[in-house]
Amino acid sequence: MAEENLQVKNWHDKYYKILLIIPAILIIFSFVYMINFYNQHGDFIKKDISLTGGTSVTLYDKLDADKLKQELQNKLEEVNIREVYDLISKEQKALIIETKSGADETKKVLEDYLKYELTDENSSFEFTGSSLSQGFYKQLLIAILVAFVAMGIVIFLIFRTFVPSIAVIASAFADILMTLVVVNILGIEISTAGLVAFLMLIGYSVDTDILLTSRVLKREGESLNKKIFDSFKTGMTMTLTALFSVLVALFIVKSFSSVLTQIFTILSIGLVFDIFNTWVTNVSIIKWYIKSKHG
Amino acid sequence: MAKLTFKIWILIIVLILSLISIFGLPPSFLEKGILITGVEQNSSAFESGLRQGQIITAIDGKSVETIDDFSKIILEKYPSDREIKTIIQTKDSEIILFSKQAPEITISGIPKTNLKAGLDISGGARALVQAQDKKLSTEEVNDLVAITNNRFNVYGISDIKVSPVSDLAGNHFMLIEVAGATPKDLKQLIEQQGKFEAKIGNETVFIGGERDISSVCRNDATCATITACSDANGGSICNFQFSIYLSEIAAEKHAEVTKKLGINESVPEYLSKPLDLYVDDKLVDTLLISKDLQGRVTTQISISGSGSGETQEEAYSITEENMNKLQTILITGSLPYKLEIVKLDTISPILGEQFIKIILLAGLGALLAVAIVIFVRYRKFKESMALLLTSFSEIIIILGVASMIDWNLDLLSIAGILAVVGTGIDQQIIILDESKQRVSLSVKEKLKRAFTIILSAYFTALVSLLPLLWVGAGLLKGFAITTIIGITIGILITRPAFTDIIKNIEE
Repeated sequence: MAEENLQVKNWHDKYYKILLIIPAILIIFSFVYMINFYNQHGDFIKKDISLTGGTSVTLYDKLDADKLKQELQNKLEEVNIREVYDLISKEQKALIIETKSGADETKKVLEDYLKYELTDENSSFEFTGSSLSQGFYKQLLIAILVAFVAMGIVIFLIFRTFVPSIAVIASAFADILMTLVVVNILGIEISTAGLVAFLMLIGYSVDTDILLTSRVLKREGESLNKKIFDSFKTGMTMTLTALFSVLVALFIVKSFSSVLTQIFTILSIGLVFDIFNTWVTNVSIIKWYIKSKHG
Repeated sequence: MAKLTFKIWILIIVLILSLISIFGLPPSFLEKGILITGVEQNSSAFESGLRQGQIITAIDGKSVETIDDFSKIILEKYPSDREIKTIIQTKDSEIILFSKQAPEITISGIPKTNLKAGLDISGGARALVQAQDKKLSTEEVNDLVAITNNRFNVYGISDIKVSPVSDLAGNHFMLIEVAGATPKDLKQLIEQQGKFEAKIGNETVFIGGERDISSVCRNDATCATITACSDANGGSICNFQFSIYLSEIAAEKHAEVTKKLGINESVPEYLSKPLDLYVDDKLVDTLLISKDLQGRVTTQISISGSGSGETQEEAYSITEENMNKLQTILITGSLPYKLEIVKLDTISPILGEQFIKIILLAGLGALLAVAIVIFVRYRKFKESMALLLTSFSEIIIILGVASMIDWNLDLLSIAGILAVVGTGIDQQIIILDESKQRVSLSVKEKLKRAFTIILSAYFTALVSLLPLLWVGAGLLKGFAITTIIGITIGILITRPAFTDIIKNIEE
């Protein structure tokens, strides 16, 4: 065991700077992808109707989504329909119909097609006006930005040294950026809750970085590699518990709540990148910093 | 034997208080009876002393344990053609009701806990309202909230929460929340400006609101009734009539305007011009004015209107509704501007219970996943159990605080709790690992170091949550507050206790 560790450490001592190429490439790719994405869509994300405005109807009925979509397509704006299944019985429970049209119009069109009245016993309606949702979107972006900056300031106040603080902030930034790219590649339409998940990611992703940096900077009398390896053991336990619990929760709520599904999906992706960015990006930077400081 | 330190005692005490806060003392799941969730204002039930929040335990000496018990007894007695006596035994008092109709109350079973699920889980309606083409000031929103509250009360919708909210961009909104089933005409009720005008020719004689109208007869068959129904054009029409009392100012204005009128040529008992009633600039009825009233200061005026439907039954209920609406705006007056609903969510309550089960299952699953990772990593029963039990008590304390401050747990709050427990477990892992370091430091020193890391993590999480308090018209406040409460409980109560527990185990 000890020998094996030694080998790993020797290997890491040799290649830690080169390892930084991987996050560098990924970050450059992410930037290029995002610039491209922005040029194509005019925004950083694909927004769902809670951010663009429109109506989402949950209809507790068993109907064929494709057929219904064909029926509604010409009568409502940008219709999107999903089927919802029970986790255990796999039986269809509901349909979620999303459209940019208003609530009254959507209700009328649906009622005309279904030939029954929609009440709160057979359906749920969520309508958001477009100016309100655009306001939400802007404010949430500001909130995420403010949160990120505030987090950065706290990090600087804690460590009071430039490079280690920047390393933590850069890793958190890389986490969010890479998660965003994956979310966009998967074509997920982000809701208000999804943006909140990104905000949660800020808090989650700096935890392990703080652990690593404080141990490396503040603990005395141990070799650098030992400090890093100990932090790695602790940090991996932290991230893996978080990741497993989020994945289990995701599996259970999936199809039942789109709000929670989206939050948990974004968190899982973010946590995977957190492992990478803490133990590759952040470790390499801080190792480089300590080694160059001590000659 | 492990010693119970001060910090561990605090955890235990807070935990017990939280359990009391969640389940009540004595625990509400042991209580028998049904809960009154709403009482119609000015109804005979209200006048006899029935109030929201009371728990009915027996009626006429027969014990009531379920909603079925209640319905059975009430359906046997009512409706009745004469006033009958009903003795309603509540938990603290005995109420005697004389009525022809069933008590005008809404009921539900006694909730097993004091926890309240948010609208997006248990169902209900939520509306965010702004003025059309106008930015509201704080005062205007407060006025709007007061008028709307009054309107709902008068209209007979209880169990509704109206509050002013604002957002980062300085917009003010009125937030309306109704738990459970959504009232059928909620949207209309919110949106209608409710401008009532009574005009003779072009001159306004009086308007809705207490300046011109001193009282409106309602819920009293002697002065507010549905007069007649008749079949017409394949449908049915009913008429209603109720009296109102004008204020001195309005009555004088009425006298002054009628003085100038002539006699109606075709029907000489009436004056030449009628009294036209407008609601939101739409003519709803035209009343002929008897010539005896010309120039006289009369305070009592009879208002009428109608409603139609396909069947007589439908027409009757629509007429009743129309009458209620008209009475409501006559009492509450109009809003000074048109309103626009910028967000309206009506969530069906039918899946509520199943939803809560799924969420509990997800929570349990997540905890189990954590347990597996922890046991695999540490392979020590005591430490792992200490970690899991501390996290579990953290959830209970968060829920305890939530029920104490009457917080509605919506989906985002639930995600927040999960995030809190997740970071909480992370921090306990740090404590556990620091305590195991082979460095020649005392356990106390090691744990102190762990705490520095944890405090840093706490502050970064806290500052990143704060902006959410002002974003999105308060709709994300639930998440922010739950998470802030959660991480603060962690840093103040559970983490210190966990450190002492580990100290106990290690030493």
